[in-house]
Amino acid sequence: MKRKARRDLRNGLLFISPWLIGISIFLVYPIFLSVYYSFTRFPLLSPPSWIGWSNYLELFQDKVFWTVLYNTLFYFSLQVPLIFIVALSAALLLNTKVRGMALFRTFFYLPSLVPIVATAILWAWVFNARYGLLNAALSIFGIKGITWLNDPAYVKPSLVLMSLWGMGEPMVIYLAALQGVPVNLYESSFLDGANWWQRIYHITIPLISPAIFFNVVRWVMGAFILFTQPYIMTGGGPGRASEFYVTYLWENAFDFLKMGYASAMAWILFIIIFAVTLVVFKFGAKKVYYEGA
Amino acid sequence: MIYISKGEVNKWLVCLGLAVFVAGLFASSAMAKVTVTYWEKWSGFEKKAMGEIVDDFNASQNEIKVKFLSVAGIDVKTKTAIAGGNPPDVVGLWSYSVVPFAMNNALIPLDDYMKEAGIKEESYISSIWDLMYAQGKVWALPSTPATMGYHYNKGMFQDAGLDPDKPPLTIAELNLYNEKLTQMDAEGNIIQMGFDPGWPGWFKYPWGWFFGGELYDAETQTITADDPNNIAAYEWINALAEKYGRTNLMSFKSGYGGFGSPTNPFLAGKLAAVLQGVWEANFIQTYASDMDWGVAAFPYGPNGKPDTTWVEADVLAIPTGAKHPDEAFEFIKYVQTQAAMEKLCLAQKKLTSLLATYNNPDFINNHPNPYIKFFFEQAMSPNAKIAPRVPIWSFYDKYMQVAFDNIIIGEVTPADALKEVTTTVQQELDKYKGMF
Amino acid sequence: MYKEKQIIMFKEVNWWQRKYYRELIGKIPVYFLLIAGSAVFLFPLLWMVSTSLKVPTQIFVFPPQLIPRPVQWANYIEAVTEIPFARYTLNTLYLVVLSLVGTLVSNSLVAYGFSRIEWPGRDILFFVVIATLMIPFAVLMVPLYMLFRSIGWIGSFKPLWVPHCFGAAFNIFLLRQFFLTIPRDLSDAAKIDGASELRIFSTIIIPLVKPALAVVALFHFIYMWRDFLGPLVYLTDPDMFTLSLGLQQYQSVNATEWHLLMAASSMITFPIIVLFFFTQRTFIQGISLTGLKQ
Repeated sequence: MKRKARRDLRNGLLFISPWLIGISIFLVYPIFLSVYYSFTRFPLLSPPSWIGWSNYLELFQDKVFWTVLYNTLFYFSLQVPLIFIVALSAALLLNTKVRGMALFRTFFYLPSLVPIVATAILWAWVFNARYGLLNAALSIFGIKGITWLNDPAYVKPSLVLMSLWGMGEPMVIYLAALQGVPVNLYESSFLDGANWWQRIYHITIPLISPAIFFNVVRWVMGAFILFTQPYIMTGGGPGRASEFYVTYLWENAFDFLKMGYASAMAWILFIIIFAVTLVVFKFGAKKVYYEGA
Repeated sequence: MIYISKGEVNKWLVCLGLAVFVAGLFASSAMAKVTVTYWEKWSGFEKKAMGEIVDDFNASQNEIKVKFLSVAGIDVKTKTAIAGGNPPDVVGLWSYSVVPFAMNNALIPLDDYMKEAGIKEESYISSIWDLMYAQGKVWALPSTPATMGYHYNKGMFQDAGLDPDKPPLTIAELNLYNEKLTQMDAEGNIIQMGFDPGWPGWFKYPWGWFFGGELYDAETQTITADDPNNIAAYEWINALAEKYGRTNLMSFKSGYGGFGSPTNPFLAGKLAAVLQGVWEANFIQTYASDMDWGVAAFPYGPNGKPDTTWVEADVLAIPTGAKHPDEAFEFIKYVQTQAAMEKLCLAQKKLTSLLATYNNPDFINNHPNPYIKFFFEQAMSPNAKIAPRVPIWSFYDKYMQVAFDNIIIGEVTPADALKEVTTTVQQELDKYKGMF
Repeated sequence: MYKEKQIIMFKEVNWWQRKYYRELIGKIPVYFLLIAGSAVFLFPLLWMVSTSLKVPTQIFVFPPQLIPRPVQWANYIEAVTEIPFARYTLNTLYLVVLSLVGTLVSNSLVAYGFSRIEWPGRDILFFVVIATLMIPFAVLMVPLYMLFRSIGWIGSFKPLWVPHCFGAAFNIFLLRQFFLTIPRDLSDAAKIDGASELRIFSTIIIPLVKPALAVVALFHFIYMWRDFLGPLVYLTDPDMFTLSLGLQQYQSVNATEWHLLMAASSMITFPIIVLFFFTQRTFIQGISLTGLKQ
């Protein structure tokens, strides 16, 4: 190798060495450790003992495991499309020329800044069937409120509803992307007689597809690792209706001290996320349009 | 002869003085206080009560200073702290944690300390003492115990045409009383109920006891959640839900306020009776002081026995890996003295674990809970139960909770639910076979 | 006045609304939606503050009242004394500052390595960086706990800030985007003068990327302020809890003290909102840096 190339290689590696060291210690090593633990029985306060595939076998026979998988997928399939629609609609709305727009944008964005714990606690109160804000607001319109968090049929949709409140973050990303859509495209489409919906579908969406893609990947991840809100608000109840993958993982690890079992769960989660992300990326590669690419 | 000037003598005196001073500093730091960290689950007035005992202990001697901290989620936090190698010196757990923690080597046995301190089993009420045991050793000592009772609102009884001095004795009677006490409005919504086993939701496992069922057979190490008597108990609960309407019940329950607030359904007159512990009196006196109330043993079912209750306690234990176990026990020993224990339990408005207190008219007569004698007697009842002494109690409890919830929703029959609990929990328990 | 300060990001675009009539009529439903939407988004926050100022008996009333009567400012004092709020704030700040320094230093170094130097395998490794974004904390939670336990770090602050000193995928990505926009000529000129990479990094590049660093700092601050799961797993001594974790302390078994909970929640939320108002520009820059306009 030429001297310059060799020097560049050395320098490059030196500069990224913090990251290399970091992932070796905090990523690669734990991953291997996790695999090891998933084949053991490890009640934390006693040393681990090898039990082969038992944890995985037990997982597949564990009714709760399948319940939480279902709950997580349910949440995911409800939340991702909804938040997409809501965030994009809000972004479109906030992209119009109206006085005081900056203020409105702030209002829409603020909730996503609130610390998750505070949001969870606040909405636990908002959802209170008797004295909460939501049912009170509904009663103004004469609608009888439901028992949001205490009804096994509605507890998951309630959590989805709450997540929509924090759609400020993806919305802002859409806003930024919308600003980048060239005006002349809209102009010419107008001349061609395109209506509002056609404009969105054929111009807006393809041109902001990188933003859509970015958000979808984040939502997929977020939906699978949902923890804080159900942990604080419902504890998985009623029954196991709001028990999600990571809250069950947590329960097994730190409540029941079944570290080996929890490690097996972690591994399966990793595989699921990896698979879904792969699908999203493959799909994205076809559909995402990069201007100037 | 060595000539020492006056100036030099002064210098030497000063140096000597300094030396003595520094030596004194070292000596006192050698006698410096040992700080004992004490994690407790309480907040509010219960925390305050223990706070005074801690202050008393700290003031009573110079070697140990107890640092008192309130911790939410104390079970999990203690486990992770022990695993992480930096646990507190004293931890205030619930009695049901004793066996699981002890089985997992998370606590230090106290037998030797007790012998040295002269603490004897005979001083304690036996049902409470049983909570401290596992594998023939003692792992914790009680701080504040509790027994349970059927607390009822005499005013609501009278309004419904029931004799306020005759609480129901059997489940059959309870059902009859409930019918009179439960009222609905014109649209069929529940306005008030006689009894809701789901409130406040801490106790989803004990119902079988009142029907003569047991949750666990220690001899064979078998989980007996699907004992026919247990099934009968949960059939009763299911029937209650069915009778008053499951959706009705759900919306009625959603109007419950917080436990420690004036909108507590029992305190607000929505529930005529609750199954609660000795602490309930304090909440009644704080938030519903004009309620005329009574307490009796919870009614028993066909195969049950009278005066069935269960005993719990808040306990003090020393985690494995504690830095100052000896000093930690000094504090625990202090709390066990009759004076300290009575002061603590009086302030928390509970009974004590000591037999001596039952015979202490000062305590009984000055106690803010007018029925304190009843709670003592319940603890001494032959039918006083304790939670199953299995190393996986939090697991068992969780599955009972889920079963209870699902039964109330109507998603599963009591027999099926309990059978499932039994299989799952037994499977988990079997992993510990031979270890306890 | 604010219009002048606006960056290209928020320039009004829509041509077809310039027509006068369209403008007027089209605006009415828009205003309606904007106001309705704002109400929906703001109301829970107002409710939080309103509940925080109520006397407990006034909380459980139906229909709920927005204005507390009387206004109980004392709730805030009680909230701050009931749990060691000041200590939790200090703990949180301690963690934020330590991790911030580590984050800024490590991520800029790493991003530089991935953008300003050409070396074989660079782009493949960068792909790995992106791939690591797919591995959530939940997957690593248990083994990381074990790792820290074996070196005795459980119950200390270290697991919460030390890992940040080794770079994080998102920040590397963000900074690299920005680094790539700096013309090659600058570094080339310096190289001709005999400057080492490190010197180029510190004297030329870093001063130029201050806006991007500000974005990283801001996002990092917000992340650390809000983090719950991390402290939940690693912190055992209640004296060391952070604000998010401490908020949970109010949820004791016997009594959920809503007025105190809401007061504490407001106090935890307020600094972030204030921070946002003062750093809006940086926020917006950060969004554009995620490179959505390739």
